[in-house]
Amino acid sequence: MCKIKNILLFFFFVIISLQVFDLSAKNRFPKPEFESGHVQPETITPAPRAMILEYIDVFVLIVALSLISWLILKKRSRKGVFWMSVFTILYFGFYKQGCVCAVGSVQNVTLALFNESYNIPITALLFFVIPLLYTLFFGRTFCAGVCPLGAIQDIFAFRPMPIKAWLEKVLGIIPFIYLGLAILYAATGTDFIICRYDPFIGFYRLDATFMMFMLGAIFLLIGVFIARPYCRFLCPYGALLNIVSRFSFKHMTITPANCINCKLCESSCPFGAINMPAPVKEKEKTEVIVKRYVLLSVIVPVLIFAGGFIASNFHENLAMVNHKVKLATEVMNNTNFGLKDKEAIEITAFKSSGQTIEQLYSEAAVIIDEFYIGSWILGCFIGLVFGLTLVSLTVFKYHSDYSPNKATCHSCARCMDYCPVLPEKK
Amino acid sequence: MIKEKEHNSSKAHFWKSVLIIAGVFSFALCILIIGNYFQINKADPVNTKVINTLVDRLNQNPGDQALINEIREFDLLARKAYFTNQWQIRFGGYLLLFGVIVMLISVLMMDSTKKKVQAITFVKDDKLPTTQRNSRKWITIGGIALAVITLIFAFLSHNELGNKFSQKESSESKLNKNDSLMVDSNNIQNSDTLKINSDSSNLDTVITVGLIEFPTAAMMSNFPSFRGPGGNGIAYQKNIPTSWDGASGKNIKWKTAIPLPGYNSPVVWGDKVFLTGANGTKQEVYCFSKSSGKILWTADVSGIQGSPSTAPKVTDDTGYSAPTVTTDGEKVYAVFATGDIIALDMTGNKVWARNIGIPVNHYGHSSSLLLYENKLIVQYDQNNGAKVMALSTQSGKTIWSTLRKVKISWASPVIVNTGSRVEILLIAEPYVASYDPATGKELWKIDCTSGEVGPSVAYANGIVFALNEYAKLAAIQIGDQPKILWENNDYLSDVPSPVATDKYLFVVTSYGEVACYNPKTGDKYWNHDFGTGTYSSPMLVGEKIYLMDKKGTMHIFKADKTFSSVGDPKLGENTVSTPAFADGKIFVRAGNNLYCIGK
Repeated sequence: MCKIKNILLFFFFVIISLQVFDLSAKNRFPKPEFESGHVQPETITPAPRAMILEYIDVFVLIVALSLISWLILKKRSRKGVFWMSVFTILYFGFYKQGCVCAVGSVQNVTLALFNESYNIPITALLFFVIPLLYTLFFGRTFCAGVCPLGAIQDIFAFRPMPIKAWLEKVLGIIPFIYLGLAILYAATGTDFIICRYDPFIGFYRLDATFMMFMLGAIFLLIGVFIARPYCRFLCPYGALLNIVSRFSFKHMTITPANCINCKLCESSCPFGAINMPAPVKEKEKTEVIVKRYVLLSVIVPVLIFAGGFIASNFHENLAMVNHKVKLATEVMNNTNFGLKDKEAIEITAFKSSGQTIEQLYSEAAVIIDEFYIGSWILGCFIGLVFGLTLVSLTVFKYHSDYSPNKATCHSCARCMDYCPVLPEKK
Repeated sequence: MIKEKEHNSSKAHFWKSVLIIAGVFSFALCILIIGNYFQINKADPVNTKVINTLVDRLNQNPGDQALINEIREFDLLARKAYFTNQWQIRFGGYLLLFGVIVMLISVLMMDSTKKKVQAITFVKDDKLPTTQRNSRKWITIGGIALAVITLIFAFLSHNELGNKFSQKESSESKLNKNDSLMVDSNNIQNSDTLKINSDSSNLDTVITVGLIEFPTAAMMSNFPSFRGPGGNGIAYQKNIPTSWDGASGKNIKWKTAIPLPGYNSPVVWGDKVFLTGANGTKQEVYCFSKSSGKILWTADVSGIQGSPSTAPKVTDDTGYSAPTVTTDGEKVYAVFATGDIIALDMTGNKVWARNIGIPVNHYGHSSSLLLYENKLIVQYDQNNGAKVMALSTQSGKTIWSTLRKVKISWASPVIVNTGSRVEILLIAEPYVASYDPATGKELWKIDCTSGEVGPSVAYANGIVFALNEYAKLAAIQIGDQPKILWENNDYLSDVPSPVATDKYLFVVTSYGEVACYNPKTGDKYWNHDFGTGTYSSPMLVGEKIYLMDKKGTMHIFKADKTFSSVGDPKLGENTVSTPAFADGKIFVRAGNNLYCIGK
């Protein structure tokens, strides 16, 4: 049965990819020629979405977050979380077409901080702040079933398989690197890479490039066996929530009362986000730990500096994503974007813009300078992430019972279904 | 129990059937969409064999109306077929989506019939220290691998791009400069022949670089730019009236309606007064007769290569033509919020025009133009790549362009003669800087301001006065090592610029208060509140300051150690522009009109 389903899913992704890829390529054939008298209608720019609808979206977000937090913390209902995910896919996914979403709003906030001419829409700001606030209070309930990217993956997680804890830790660093890159590119006004490479937006809009459809399909297919791969190993907003959730006041618990160590929930979490009981005897010798701490206290600043140094040397490569730097490079090297038969459309557009070549060079030089500074900061940040992760792996945390890992737990409530403990009667 | 089992079994059977039906349905749709995909990929509705044959026949017999109709019918059919295919694919996509959703629901429902929830079959994890050790090991390996790969890529592709761009930019500038010098030398040769006909003043200006004559006598006898010659807030004029009345018409020589709106100010040369107007779809330069107020000509600024098809967004209080024009008596130069810049001769004919790049400016470009010898100075402090440029007045080509690491500014350049050299003074967050007008080289700069800078600087006696709202007022002793003599933040401005003499500095706030300082020490002599806000900059004319407020009242007071009012004549129309003074007259843009005030 599972095989049939997977084969059919594969067909679905391939076909969706094919049709969209083809349409985008074919839509550009010339307009019919009319001899005279016919006036081509003017292109009409659609009016922006009404402000009231934007506020309704914020209202829906707050209601959804409140409801799912209640379902998880009070009702302890996995079924409730599932239906919230369905609602999210329908409303924030297909109806809202995945925009504005909290994940991408990181870039809006960054751009607003670094570019005074950009006025951040209030809804983008609220979509950034509200899930963070809820996470601070209730843990990652946003990830559980209000994020359209997480919800679609959660529904596809049919046969989750375990992955090694060390691999989870290593891959868990990637979202922080991605977050750093997204901030760098947003701050320099280069691109919103989180949105551009959002693998699921194509499904919600039924419109994306062939490659993006394939990427989305790959993520969903992987997600059948490795639950929520994007959330765990890429999502930059998840990296922020990971930090905030550690300080959450009232995070969900696996047991409604005292844990009886029955081990039934041990294998229930598809994200490996359950802290197993750790007996004190497992603890390493204190002197070994102290030695390692001393070593790490030296290594962390070195890692920060080394990260900054390495990334700053890489700044030109990072800057090549910027279209102006790319254009200036192509013009300077006279490479015409690799085209031989005709002039590249970017070159033609530049020529008709009226901008002079020295202006282009001067702007590109400014951008390169910005990337140099930004790369230093990015590298230092990545070095810090590596350093702090190593430090956290030195700390021995004593657990007497099964509890969710506040940082990585997506509050999906699966583990609750396995717990035989009944709530204490008041 | 048995009943429940049977119920679950029949439920599972039902959902299994639904799953199979949905699966077959989706599979069939997949096949259909694949077929359609290949069909649409093969078809080219504008290049069919039949139509091409018919078109060939039409070329041989162009007048065949029946053939034309036949081609049209085939063309319509081909397009219809193409769009129908498109519709089929899209509709098929939606159906497929529906099929997959049903499949997903079926799987979920089947799972729900199973009695026990399926646990994830995890392999028992290693003990905590082992896990931590492994994690540390692999994070270290991963980090080292990432660092090595990054370094290899950085090493292999290191290109010194930043330096290369800077070098290329300066070499391009040199090329343009050479072009421009060629133009100028041509001009000199032409002038040599003209010299016989007597007028060689322009020639002198070109070849006597180094002999400091700024502002020139011609500039001082006219009013060639925003805030007068060099933009320093001083009008070298006499016999300017001090009383008039807009309501009764006393001393109002003429009043002419301006066709398009704009916040720029008038400039005067000879018998002509110049203004611009724009509204987002039209850009115009106007020339008025100084004596009669009649519009002598209107130049439409359009069709410039590189000009944006849609005007950039600007705010209502800046508009599309905030920058004031400038003139050298031979040509008049104008710039607009679109980045279009134009040079017109004195009869309104275009000499050259270009687009210098759409300014990235959230309010709209407002910096006015200035002239120095054969160079048109443009302060282009926009969001990406702020710079100051000198364009050839002959050809419009860039003579030099100097990058500025500043934020967007709405201030205008000021050109002053310090006695030893001529300097261009610019202000924008975070600094005031000076540039050599001949080469564009930065002579000095000093950090002293912040925020969205609107007011331009004032200069007198070797001291530059710079201020901005929410920042401070700074008096800067100029030189290769500039220093701040004194600072104050009691009276600041976000629009009007200050004006200074050797003895006094006058600061006008946007809400209508004026303060007079000792320019050397910063001691305040007096302050006076006029009660009405002002966006217009004060002008020093002889021994008097002329300050127009927003409601159209001109406050005239003596440039003196104590406040002494000369008069407060009213025009009766709101204005934000700075008046021009020439030939015993005042020219004011107020409301939609240009006024001439004179005895």
